[in-house]
Amino acid sequence: MDCIRLEYDVDGENFSSAGNASESVKRTLKQMGVSAASVRRVAIAMYEGEINMVIHAHGGRAEAEIYPDRIDIYLKDSGPGIADIDLAMKAGYSTATENIRSLGFGAGMGLPNMKKYSDEMRIDSTVGVGTTVFLRINF
Amino acid sequence: MNVKRLAETAGYTVFTEGEDREIESGYCGDFLSNIISRAPDSCAWLTVMNNVNVAAVATLIDCACIILCEGVEPDGPLKARAEMQGIWILGAKQNVFEETKRVAAVCGI
Repeated sequence: MDCIRLEYDVDGENFSSAGNASESVKRTLKQMGVSAASVRRVAIAMYEGEINMVIHAHGGRAEAEIYPDRIDIYLKDSGPGIADIDLAMKAGYSTATENIRSLGFGAGMGLPNMKKYSDEMRIDSTVGVGTTVFLRINF
Repeated sequence: MNVKRLAETAGYTVFTEGEDREIESGYCGDFLSNIISRAPDSCAWLTVMNNVNVAAVATLIDCACIILCEGVEPDGPLKARAEMQGIWILGAKQNVFEETKRVAAVCGI
């Protein structure tokens, strides 16, 4: 099936452009007439993923495929990987530093929010190699 | 009530301006994962968080304005990004509780 494909480099150097990919996808979905509730779910899930890449993995690549009935999002990084995915998925668990917490992150809600607001979520991660998160949100 | 009118009525500092929108509700908080998942559209978001990520979250939640409480000012990157994206940032002197009461009273929400 034909889809609209959007790709973004997520800069891991600082936070000045963090959220740009999510904002761009949100704008595109709004222009396409996707419901406000669906747009919000996509924005939440994708922003959390983007921020995770900035905080934990020095950035990465975000790809979105927009179909008439859904969006598939791939968040790929070459960061440290996640040793224990079940633990990382637990609400409130965080490995973020004090500095990151002072910026308003590190509540341990990133991955739980991504799961809560998506219809499908898969994490493929290898320690020392990187992580790919797949998110599907049905409209 | 619209953001501009709130700023005038409550005597808030205007750090950056955007589209003059109606404030329909409010939300208070500093943890960005809470804000992004729970703050309603078109709200006044009261916080003491003043870094650049506040602008990204404000855009994603479509809030009417950000109100920085306790005399907090936006840092340079936040101000720059808010100006670029047309996001209202207002400044208030008192704590989040007192300013929330004021916004609720002035806006009738």
